[in-house]
Amino acid sequence: MRRAIALSLAAAVAGPAAAADVLHLYNWNNYITEATIRRFEARCGCRVKQDYYSDNEELLAKLEAGATGYDILVPSGNAVETLIRQAALKPLDRALLPHLGNLRAEYMDAWYDRGNRYSVPYAYSITLIGYNVDRIRALGLPADSWALIFEPRHLEKLKGRVTVLNSQRELLGAAMRYLGYSVQERDPARWEAAKRLILAAKPYWAAFSNSTYIKDLAIGNIWVAHGYSNDMFRAREDARAAARPFAIDFFTPKEGAVLGVDSMVLHKGGRRVDLAHRFIDFMLEGENAATLSNQIGAGNPNRAALPHIRPDIAANPHIFPGAAALARLEMVRDFDPRTRRALSRMWTEIKVR
Amino acid sequence: MNRPTDRAGIRARRAVSLPPLLFLLAFFALPALIMVGASFRHPGEFGGLAPLLAAGGAGDGGLTLEAYRFFVSDTVFVEIFARSFAVALATTLICLTLAYPLALLIARSPRRRRDVMVLLVILPFASNFLIRVYAWIMILGPLNLLYTPVAVIVGMVYVHLPFVILPLYTNLEKHDPVLLDAAQDLGASTWQRFWRVTFPLSLPGVFSGGALVFIPVLGMFAIPELLGGTGDILVGNLIKEQFLESRDWPFGSTLSIMLTFAVLAAAWAMTRLARGRRGAV
Repeated sequence: MRRAIALSLAAAVAGPAAAADVLHLYNWNNYITEATIRRFEARCGCRVKQDYYSDNEELLAKLEAGATGYDILVPSGNAVETLIRQAALKPLDRALLPHLGNLRAEYMDAWYDRGNRYSVPYAYSITLIGYNVDRIRALGLPADSWALIFEPRHLEKLKGRVTVLNSQRELLGAAMRYLGYSVQERDPARWEAAKRLILAAKPYWAAFSNSTYIKDLAIGNIWVAHGYSNDMFRAREDARAAARPFAIDFFTPKEGAVLGVDSMVLHKGGRRVDLAHRFIDFMLEGENAATLSNQIGAGNPNRAALPHIRPDIAANPHIFPGAAALARLEMVRDFDPRTRRALSRMWTEIKVR
Repeated sequence: MNRPTDRAGIRARRAVSLPPLLFLLAFFALPALIMVGASFRHPGEFGGLAPLLAAGGAGDGGLTLEAYRFFVSDTVFVEIFARSFAVALATTLICLTLAYPLALLIARSPRRRRDVMVLLVILPFASNFLIRVYAWIMILGPLNLLYTPVAVIVGMVYVHLPFVILPLYTNLEKHDPVLLDAAQDLGASTWQRFWRVTFPLSLPGVFSGGALVFIPVLGMFAIPELLGGTGDILVGNLIKEQFLESRDWPFGSTLSIMLTFAVLAAAWAMTRLARGRRGAV
């Protein structure tokens, strides 16, 4: 924020011509590196002003409340669908995106935007399990299944050392995959089964956590956490950098998991469609796309990025899933209002019981 | 209480009270009315509200009592209200107990020291609220108190303590020391001087400080989210979830209205209590 203010001051000082050349990017926290931003600024001779959100709901709520002036947003698939159906996006001009061909076919033409008229895949993450390698090995627990956060027989050895996401769809999704169903499941009987599974495991969990688990894993407070692959990557790097006497790693449960693909889209309230296209094309160049994986640990839909990605990251199947693993990953699709209300009640019951 | 009786005085009074009145109208009454309106609507498919006149007769247009019916359909919601009131009450009582001696100490200190002490009370506000809560994660973690109801209360008390100290201090500072001297001359012990002179005079400060804690605690969601365990959900979290995760504005509005009524009832009870006490003294 302070940086944003400094930049706008600099722009104001530089005069009206320079002040007009500002690209407004509304992005996830920690989802692009400073160096990449600076390289783009040098290339386009413009300024990038970034604002941040920490989940799709926050982004949608802010736009719904009338936020305007953002050229580019980076929402996940279900939020892209919502924004398209609200007519909140501008269509892309493919002629201005010569590097579009760098993207891998499996991440194109998704259900939320057939033909990619509005969205260009940016990066992805898998909702999976991060764990303290030494602790889990010492306890002889399996590091391959959702059983690690759901089965009381494992959890008995982990009491108070497990966190799960404070997200209705993510936790229900994990439970559904463990029970062998789809994350889109709406059958009340199967919801009931998921609720029983969650309630049986809940007494062993320390907390519902959406962000604190990164630090808790890295300092050793928590041994098992349900969370996003790029967060687990960060916890792993943090533990390494601090030379902790243990290692953090992460795995995609064999039953399958939630895949979150984030895409760049043009908001209708944006003023600089030209700069926005230049930015999107810039991020499609292999070298620039690779920074998302190298520094943030995000999965990369860009074929041309691969040669620039650190070999250990490129070879990690929990960041870059193979075809078989990818087939077991599911993207979350929004429920209708009635189902959302019913889920909210179930969630409240889970919290209170 | 010298009420201005001449016309100019009345006009001056109106001119002075107009800005706050307009402020309250624009930022309290109007949003509250919007909230009441929203609570009778249907939720929109992608969040927000469904249009009043539904196209194609999908049955989601017009007004409905569904959000209220949903509220009473399950005891969990009332349970969360009760739990939140218990947490707010505990936080308020602990804050008052901790703040009173400190406020008294500051009020009875020499002028120069007083300013420094007040500054120290306000100083934590210089750093961001979330950073201070994160600091508690590091303190409570090794004590094995993190992610427990105790951690929530500790966080709540910590954040709200200055809001009790300051009104109590402003009240206590204004007490005329002559009153205590008079009480002493009449043979009152230290304890009697406190209990029969200082404390009754400080009641307005106690009640305003108490209200400044009790009401915000009811709406707080960040502290239970960061410090609380798997069962620590308060009404603030529930309302936030409706607007963000569930994107159910009508139900979120219903919960907010219920909370407003509950707070008004509590405030009414408090004023009754305050008036009762003052009558007895």
